[in-house]
Amino acid sequence: MKRYISKNQKRSDALSKVTGEATYTHDIVVPGMLFAKVLRSPHAHARIRKLDVSKAAALPGVKAVATWENTPRKLFNSTGMMAFLYPGAKPAMDEYIFDQMVRHVGDEVAAVAATSEEIAAEAIRLIEVEYEPLPALLDPLDALEEDAILIHGDIQDNNIASGTHTIRQGDFEKGWAECDVTYEARVKLPIQKQAQLETHAAVAEYRNGELTVWSPTQSVHGTKYILAHIFDMSAGNIRVMNPPYVGGAFGVRVGFGGKAEGIVSCLSMLSGYPVKLVLTREEDFTVSDTRHSGYVDIKLGAKADGRFHAFGMNAYLNTGAYGTHGIEVAACLGNMATSTYRVPNIFFEGASIYTNIVPAGAFRGFGNPQAVFAVETAVDALAKKLDIDPVELRLKNRIRVNDEWPLSYPCSSTALDECIKQAAAKIGWSEKRGRAGQGRFRRGVGLGAGTHFCGYDELAHVSLELETDGSLSVFTGNSEIGTGHITSLQQITAESFGCEIEQVNIKYGDTRGTPYDVGCHSTRSVFAIGNAISMAAGELKEQVLQYAAGAMGCSAEALSIESGRVRGGPEEMDLGQLARDGHIHKTHFSAEGKSKEAVTVTPWEAHAAEVEVDTLTGMVKVLKVVAAHDVGVAINPQLVEGQIEGGVVIGIGYATREEMSINEKGEVYNSSYHTYMLPTFADTPEIEPVIVESYEPRGPYGAKGVGECGLVPTAAAIAAAVEDATGVRFLEIPLTPQRVLDGLQAACVTCQAEKEGGTIDVE
Amino acid sequence: MGEQYVLKVNGKEYALRTGGGQMLADVLRDELHLIGTKKGCCQGECGACTVILDGKAVNSCMIPVAKAVGADILTIEGLQTEDGLHPLQKAFIEEGAVQCGFCTPGMIMSAKALLDEEANPTSAQIQEALSGNICRCTGYVKIEKAVQKASEELRKEG
Ligand code: FES
Ligand code: FES
Repeated sequence: MKRYISKNQKRSDALSKVTGEATYTHDIVVPGMLFAKVLRSPHAHARIRKLDVSKAAALPGVKAVATWENTPRKLFNSTGMMAFLYPGAKPAMDEYIFDQMVRHVGDEVAAVAATSEEIAAEAIRLIEVEYEPLPALLDPLDALEEDAILIHGDIQDNNIASGTHTIRQGDFEKGWAECDVTYEARVKLPIQKQAQLETHAAVAEYRNGELTVWSPTQSVHGTKYILAHIFDMSAGNIRVMNPPYVGGAFGVRVGFGGKAEGIVSCLSMLSGYPVKLVLTREEDFTVSDTRHSGYVDIKLGAKADGRFHAFGMNAYLNTGAYGTHGIEVAACLGNMATSTYRVPNIFFEGASIYTNIVPAGAFRGFGNPQAVFAVETAVDALAKKLDIDPVELRLKNRIRVNDEWPLSYPCSSTALDECIKQAAAKIGWSEKRGRAGQGRFRRGVGLGAGTHFCGYDELAHVSLELETDGSLSVFTGNSEIGTGHITSLQQITAESFGCEIEQVNIKYGDTRGTPYDVGCHSTRSVFAIGNAISMAAGELKEQVLQYAAGAMGCSAEALSIESGRVRGGPEEMDLGQLARDGHIHKTHFSAEGKSKEAVTVTPWEAHAAEVEVDTLTGMVKVLKVVAAHDVGVAINPQLVEGQIEGGVVIGIGYATREEMSINEKGEVYNSSYHTYMLPTFADTPEIEPVIVESYEPRGPYGAKGVGECGLVPTAAAIAAAVEDATGVRFLEIPLTPQRVLDGLQAACVTCQAEKEGGTIDVE
Repeated sequence: MGEQYVLKVNGKEYALRTGGGQMLADVLRDELHLIGTKKGCCQGECGACTVILDGKAVNSCMIPVAKAVGADILTIEGLQTEDGLHPLQKAFIEEGAVQCGFCTPGMIMSAKALLDEEANPTSAQIQEALSGNICRCTGYVKIEKAVQKASEELRKEG
């Protein structure tokens, strides 16, 4: 019987968050602190011919002006360590904090530190810049043309960021020729924005040769690494910390967030004062990483009995001005696209391509929502051609444990079948599918399925220490970005060690005193840090029991730690007493946890959606989403549900309304919550999270992860439901009223022309 | 030096000097150090800065401080009483309605203004009252549950 596993333990940070006590980077105040503002490029692509900061520098209250001329000329990659994790690839080292070239509207030209924000803003207006505008590329397909201008011509002779990811299994060409039915299409994906509530911000203080940075980064050690690299400092002299809370992240804060950390560090070094920068909402929208937009071409073919036989895909992702995660997102897209279903013959090629728009980077799902949208479009199309129910077709072809697949790790658990069945049953698939009827308002149901990965187990290290009061301190370089996993990790610690949960304190979000961890992302934290903690807690327990056995003169086998006390011996011993006793006898109870081998595990998910389409206005109303997730064992079901629900709403936004539009000058049109149409309370339908438990033998207490998964198949499910309602399959999202209306009208015309009816693909 | 004025926040009076043109959110945060009031947009679009001004939920980033003089202002810091947490605060914890927490103070203040007006709100009324408060983390589901639960608690308390 587990005391703390599968329990809805209340979040350890909830109290300070409901009282207003919780501190974020926006709240950090350092004595003597200056305020920064940034001058940004109005051009999508230009060379700075002349930069005159003299008037700005002379303004009373201005303490420093940073430009490309007085800051380090060291190329970096803004993702911290992430860009180095792709085997064999050359990371895209393509950014300076300030450069003489600007590569997107909003790119950093200069920054000012002054005694107030108003003075800094005034100084920014006084900077004189002469630009030489250059031709700009906005579309990744244009950037691949042979005569395309080079966006990073000084470092490479094409527009592909850090290479191409290729996957091969079997023989695609041969397999494709052998298929009885085939489908091919190109889908087009939008730019989605993380839009976390706390805009990017950072505070830096450079003093006595040491640099301290407060930041909402989701990878404190990664951010420290970039800073050490840029400023040529010894990493040990840099401290990066969360304050400790982070106002949402969703991937956008891996490494640098909007370069804020780099900018304030430059300004603090130049001015000699601590400096704070808080980006405006508009800046946050227009300069920090987005989800990759682009095109995905898919080919899927099956045998007459419905077995998938050949799968081909090309992904052209738009990474914007900088490579950031470059190839990793393309690789994840390919890996996820090829690991949900059994297909003997596979070809995939994908790349992230430079253009002159706001950079794309990590966003919850990391290429997977794009993959699933394409794959599920094809699966539904084949179901129709084969006249097999889409649910049946998915169940037939889904990956099984230890199946052969193109990934480097095995499929060690999957309950995808159960996810699909439950999602379908709970949306009312058999009663509702194919019953749209006629008339203005038409309803339909659809389903989408997928997987993800819980990664970088090998990059988790923790250290545990038994304190002199018997409490247990856990040190991790991970961050709490709002997901609540720190509470799940407390549960895992208490369970593994045998103490009360109140005795567990997890210290995180600070490079000082914590061992290296790659960060809170990749659906990894409960899984990877949880594994490291279980291991360290087991070892610590062993140390304590051995010592207690020695002290009591009994065998360690007889002893156990229960409720924070050592029991089973001639007397009960208190952990604090043992810790204190240990110290005076040269025994210090501490342990390290890290994985012995790299392990990746796979969570699974299926979403079913019901929609109502107004055929007169094109409005798609999502009525309900059932989100069934195989998370292994849910350490804290309430937290898991919260992750699913939050993910689903971002998924609904991706499907129906969220899109950053960029005009021909490279300017972002929708740079505010309102114009971006972020889903509000009133836009949220009924959401039914379903936790489908499986047992993952390689996860802590059978757990996998859930973080990113909540939004992965939502858009695919909604597009399928819209098809069920209207007969039209949309190949481009979001399904805004205009797009839907255009599609319905086009389809009508085509329908009549072909007189066949059925599904029409609409780009 | 600017003019002196008095602001009444959470039942206490504060004598301040204005630099002119400041917004209430900035005064609360920067002068009174009541940092529970968050700023997510400074454009009246996210609700993170919501406080209660004479019984009404307002976006404090859009209220020039001069307009708040003489009003009763309640911020998240004023919600707790000697008896402990407000039922909304308890319900947000219990129902798992808090994730990153950046929207939470504003969300709770909007919910409080609603429950002060309408002791037994329908789901539609909750959605309507909170539709100016953006949350990117929770998907709103558990927030609605928390507000329902708090309203039950408050009605029980009478
Ligand atoms: S900060 Fe006031 S509404 Fe967003
Ligand atoms: S909890 Fe993060 S924005 Fe609401």
